Amino acid sequence: MNVGLNIAAAGMLAEQVRQDQLSNDLANASTPGYKPQTSVQSSFGALLLANTATGQQIGSMQTGTDISKIVTDTAPAPLQQTGQPLDFAIAGDGFFAVRTPQGVRYTRDGQFSSSAQGALVDADGDEVLGQNGAPIGVSAKGTVPASALGVFNIKGAQEQGDNLFTGSAAGRATGSVEQGALEGSGVDAIQTMTEMIASLQAYQSGQQAIQTIAQTLQASSTNVGAVGGP
Amino acid sequence: MLPGLWSAASGMEAQQQQLDAISNDLANDSTPGYQSTIVGFHDLLYASGGAQSGSTVATGAGAAASVTGRSQLQGTIEQTGQPLDVAIEGEGYLEVRRPDGTIGLTRNGTLQVDSQGRLTTNLGMPVQPPVTLPKGVAPSDVTIGSDGTVSVGTRKLGKIAIVTVPAPDGLLADGDSLFSTTAASGAMRPAAGATLEQGALEASNVDISEDMVKMIDAEQGYNLASKAIQYQQQMGQIANQLKSS
Repeated sequence: MNVGLNIAAAGMLAEQVRQDQLSNDLANASTPGYKPQTSVQSSFGALLLANTATGQQIGSMQTGTDISKIVTDTAPAPLQQTGQPLDFAIAGDGFFAVRTPQGVRYTRDGQFSSSAQGALVDADGDEVLGQNGAPIGVSAKGTVPASALGVFNIKGAQEQGDNLFTGSAAGRATGSVEQGALEGSGVDAIQTMTEMIASLQAYQSGQQAIQTIAQTLQASSTNVGAVGGP
Repeated sequence: MLPGLWSAASGMEAQQQQLDAISNDLANDSTPGYQSTIVGFHDLLYASGGAQSGSTVATGAGAAASVTGRSQLQGTIEQTGQPLDVAIEGEGYLEVRRPDGTIGLTRNGTLQVDSQGRLTTNLGMPVQPPVTLPKGVAPSDVTIGSDGTVSVGTRKLGKIAIVTVPAPDGLLADGDSLFSTTAASGAMRPAAGATLEQGALEASNVDISEDMVKMIDAEQGYNLASKAIQYQQQMGQIANQLKSS
């Protein structure tokens, strides 16, 4: 079969994954502590072409492309003052740790509150942990000192939803905790929009390539064998 | 088919919820003791999607919003000169008994006297524990101390309780400026460090300029998500035109 057809189709599929990732970024333009993603595109292995008659090597040909991975950009985003006593943000690097039923998870969303038992918890009721891995108590006046919260360095942070990241903790991070503030979403609307337009155009180009190849195939199937010419 | 379409739509819905909460806040700008709503956003599950994606390619399913609680910031104390108006300074609530017998919590201290001489809220719900004014005592003769003690001259009539819960964000808002305790809020207990001020009301803690900024932000987020839907739709169209010629 025609290789070009598959190359163009692979390109279109890759752009679809990219659009899905960009849509998710835009949907999270207001999510505190959200970290935008980047789709990393890479090419499939190259084919070595050889002359079928002599066996002589001619050169290599790329066979298309795919999204090989999606990486998270954990760069800190600007902080927004809220004045709420149990809102916290990390200025600089690091993550808060929360204890979920599935194990310890990490987050940059410091929109915390008090549980009925008087512990500092996240929006899902998971306990926020200090640097020593112990839960943090909320005082009778409803406050928690910023120094009580742990800030962890995370290796291999990966988004899992609910503003949580999986990964393994590796000591204390350099970031400092700010009280009464939240980290904004890291999504840059203009950049994301531009990437969407570029991706849409690449998608369209893929479609054009497929149509052109289809026309060529049609011409070769109808014209090449025709007696008496067109 | 086109998961990005749905993640973009979820983003619009989340922003819509934020706009609804802001509208409610703005409508209650003049409600004494009203606490503005806090909406939290979070992202949804990540799953590998698309025909060619491996384990390292996981796209998210969008965003969702939920009301995480009420702002505990102190509203401005406004002098009214009404002897039965009380403002709560600090974190705490007045305890009142509803007509159905259950206990409600409120920060709206617009108190009045009912036909039996009891101190009630402006909706006729008696404060707890009940405080009854003896016949012939005018509201202007009543003194309410900062600890809630109600007295006429040197005669003590009772004490208005100021209570709170371990997790105010877990309180259930019932409307009419009333809240109910839930399992998430924890049980009521006396409020530490909250005091009453007679002849004043706490204004709502809605910050209009902040809400305006939030509104613009939500509108922009709504727009962006709708643009994402348009692009997804165009991709669908392009895919459909593959076989047009």
